[in-house]
Amino acid sequence: MKSNLFWRFRLIHIALTLAGVAIVVQIIHILYSPEAETIRAYGKTYSGQIWEFSPARGEIYDRKGQLLAGNKTMYETGVDLTADPDANEVAIAAQIYLGLDYGMVFNAITQPPGGIVYVVLDKFTPGDKVQAFEDFRETVKGTTTAENLAAVYFQPHLERTYPENSLAANMLGFVDRNKWAYYGIEEKYNTLLAGTTITRWVPVNPNDAQSIPDVPPGATLILTIDREIQAATEEILDNALNIYGADSGVIVVADPKTGEILAMASTPRLNPNEYWTYMETFPGETPYNRAVSQAYEPGSVVKILTMAAAIDKGVVRPETIYDDRTGTFEVGGITIYNWDHAAWGPQDMIGCLQHSLNVCLAWVATQLGQQDFYAYMQNFGLGHVTGIDLAAENPGRLKLPQDSDWYPVDLGTNAFGQGVSITPIQMVMAATAIANNGQMVRPHVLKATVQNGVQRDLPVEVIGSPISAATAQTMNWMLSISLENESSLSLVPGYSIAGKTGTAQIPTENGYTIEKTNASFIGWGPVDDPKFLVYVWLEKPQTSIWGSETAAPVFKQVVQKLVVLMGIPPDQVRLSLTSGGR
Amino acid sequence: MNNVTNLVKKYRQAPWRVQRQWLGLILLGVALAALVAGIYLNVTARGTLAGRQVLMLEAEITDNKLANADLEANLAEASSTEKMEQHAQALGFHPATSEEITYVVVPGYVPQIGINLSTADPQPAVSNIKPEYTQTLFEWFALRIQSASASSGGQP
Repeated sequence: MKSNLFWRFRLIHIALTLAGVAIVVQIIHILYSPEAETIRAYGKTYSGQIWEFSPARGEIYDRKGQLLAGNKTMYETGVDLTADPDANEVAIAAQIYLGLDYGMVFNAITQPPGGIVYVVLDKFTPGDKVQAFEDFRETVKGTTTAENLAAVYFQPHLERTYPENSLAANMLGFVDRNKWAYYGIEEKYNTLLAGTTITRWVPVNPNDAQSIPDVPPGATLILTIDREIQAATEEILDNALNIYGADSGVIVVADPKTGEILAMASTPRLNPNEYWTYMETFPGETPYNRAVSQAYEPGSVVKILTMAAAIDKGVVRPETIYDDRTGTFEVGGITIYNWDHAAWGPQDMIGCLQHSLNVCLAWVATQLGQQDFYAYMQNFGLGHVTGIDLAAENPGRLKLPQDSDWYPVDLGTNAFGQGVSITPIQMVMAATAIANNGQMVRPHVLKATVQNGVQRDLPVEVIGSPISAATAQTMNWMLSISLENESSLSLVPGYSIAGKTGTAQIPTENGYTIEKTNASFIGWGPVDDPKFLVYVWLEKPQTSIWGSETAAPVFKQVVQKLVVLMGIPPDQVRLSLTSGGR
Repeated sequence: MNNVTNLVKKYRQAPWRVQRQWLGLILLGVALAALVAGIYLNVTARGTLAGRQVLMLEAEITDNKLANADLEANLAEASSTEKMEQHAQALGFHPATSEEITYVVVPGYVPQIGINLSTADPQPAVSNIKPEYTQTLFEWFALRIQSASASSGGQP
C-alpha cells in the first residue's frame, strides 16, 4: 500500500516535471522561432502610439497689447464604428446640432472605407455646436439614442483666429487649416510663431507612464502697429477710394526716428478668418500688400530725394535760381516738360519744389551728375529691398548707367520720379533720412518677441546716413515752406508739416497715359520734432488726376487723426508746455 | 563497528522529521516569494495609479490651455475696435478732434512706454516627474543600493 502510494506520487512528480520542461521548451521555441520577431513587432505596434505634440501657435499683439491673432478651440468630430451605432440617429443629430450633411454622415457610417474602425466626419466643428450636441446627448441620457450618440467623439485642437477680422490683415497674413502660413507677419515669422513639434512614442500601459513632453508654445510677437491708428487709417483709405474713385490705395504711417510702422493700410483687404475667399478678393496678380509688394513710378515725391542729394553734394543751395524760360529742358537729346507744359520763370529751389517743376529737378540732376545722382539714390535704398519684416517685398527697379536699358534721358526723368519704380515702403524708408536728421532707419513691424516668458525688445536699426544732418534740416525747412507757400490741402492747422505731392503718369505699352495717374503724398511732422511720417498713394483717382487734390487731403485726414490718437499737441501748445515744464 | 552503526542509527533523524524540514523550507520559500510578489504588486499598483493621475493631470492642463486660448480670443473679439466703437457710439460718445482736446502738464506723470508681456515664472524646460514613477521595482532597488554604497564609500 505504502509502495503503491509512493509510485503514484512519483508518477505525478514526473508528469508535472515533464509538463514544466515542455512549457519551458515551448517558450524558448516561441522566443527563438522565425515568427518571434513578427510577433514582437506586432506586440510593440499595439503597445503604444506615436504622438505629435504640437505647440500652440504664438499670439500676435499690437504695440498696446491688443490681441491681433490668437487661437481658438475647434473639434474633430468622429464616430467609433466598433460601437455599431444606428447611422440614421447619428446622422439626424449631426445634421441638427453639428450642421453636417445627413447623407454624408449616413454614408460615412454605413459605407466606411475598408478596414477602418473610426471615421472622421468633420475636422473643424466649432465649440458651440459641440456643446449643443453634448447638451442633446445629456437630455436623452438612458435611451437607445444616447447609446447610439455615445459613438460620436470630439477631439479638440487649436485653430488660428483673428479677433479684429480684416483689421491689419495685409500686414498679418493668414494661416490656413493645414497650418500653412501665407504673407505678412505670419509667413515671415512662421518658424518663431509655430514653435517646434515634438514626436514621441507613448505606451498605452499606464504602468509605463512616460512624461508627456513639455512643449513650449510658439513665440508671442508684439508688433509696432497701433490698433487704433490702423483702424483709422484703413477707414480713411476706404473712404478716399470711394470719394476719389481710385482703383486701389496705400497709406503707411511710420515713426521716422525708429522706423516703426504704426499703421499700414492697403487695398483690397481680406478677413483672414475666411481666408478661403482669397481668390475672389485678390484676383489675378493683385498683391496681398501693395505697400511692400507693388512697385510703381511714384512721380514727384522722388524730387525730395533729388533735391536732398544736390544740396548735400553742394551743387545747389535753397536760394539757387533756376530760370525756367521755356518750360522745357533737354537731357540726352530728349526734351523734358513741366507738368503743365508752362514756363515758370526764375525760381529758387523752394519754388522748384513748391511748383513741382520737372525741368528744374532734371537740371538739378544734371548738375549733380549721373555718378553722384545714382550713388545717392542707391544710398537712399532705391532698387533694393528695405528688409522690412514682411513677406513678399518687391525691390522695385532703379536703372543704372551700366544697365543695357538705361539711356541718358533717364537721369533727367528719374530726377522727378519717372522711369524708376519703387514701393511705398522704400519711399518711406528713404524719407526717414530727411525727417530724422540724415539717419535712415529700417522700417519694421516687429517690436518685441516673448519666448519662454522673456520679452526681448528689438533695437532701432540705422542703416545709413545718405545725407548730412545739416542737409536734412535744410530740406525740412524747404519742404515746410513750400507747402505753406502753396497753401497745400495737406496742411493741418496748428501743426508744422514738411512734405511733397506726387502725380505720376502711368507707363503702358504705348507710352505714358495722360488721363490716369498715380497720386501720392509724403509728409511728416511736427517738423522740429517729427513723430509721424505718412505716405499716401492712390492708384488712378478719377475725380482728379493730381496728387495735390487727392492724396494731399487724405494725408491731412490721417494727420488730424494721428495727432489725437498719439496725443500730439499743436506746435504752440507743445512748445509752451515744454518750456513751462522746464 | 557495531557501536558506530548504533550511534549513527541513534542520531539519524526520523524520515518524517526530514520531510517536515523540507516542507518547512519549501513553505518558507513560498512565503518569501509571496512577500516579494505582494510588495511588487503594491508598488506596481501605486505606480500605475500615479501614472494614470499624471495622464489625467496632463489632460487637464491641455484642457486649461485650450480654455485659456478661447477666453483670450473671446475677450479680444468682445473688445475689438469695431465693437468698442459701437459701444462708445451707443453711449453717446464721438471721436475726439484736435480742437476738443485740452493739454495740461501733470507733474510727476510718466507715460507708459510700450508693454511688457514677460512672465515672472518662465516655463520649466525639463520634466518634473520623479523617477520613482517611471522605474521598475528592480531599478528602484538597484538605485537605492548604488546610492547607499556610494554614500557609505564617500564617508571618511
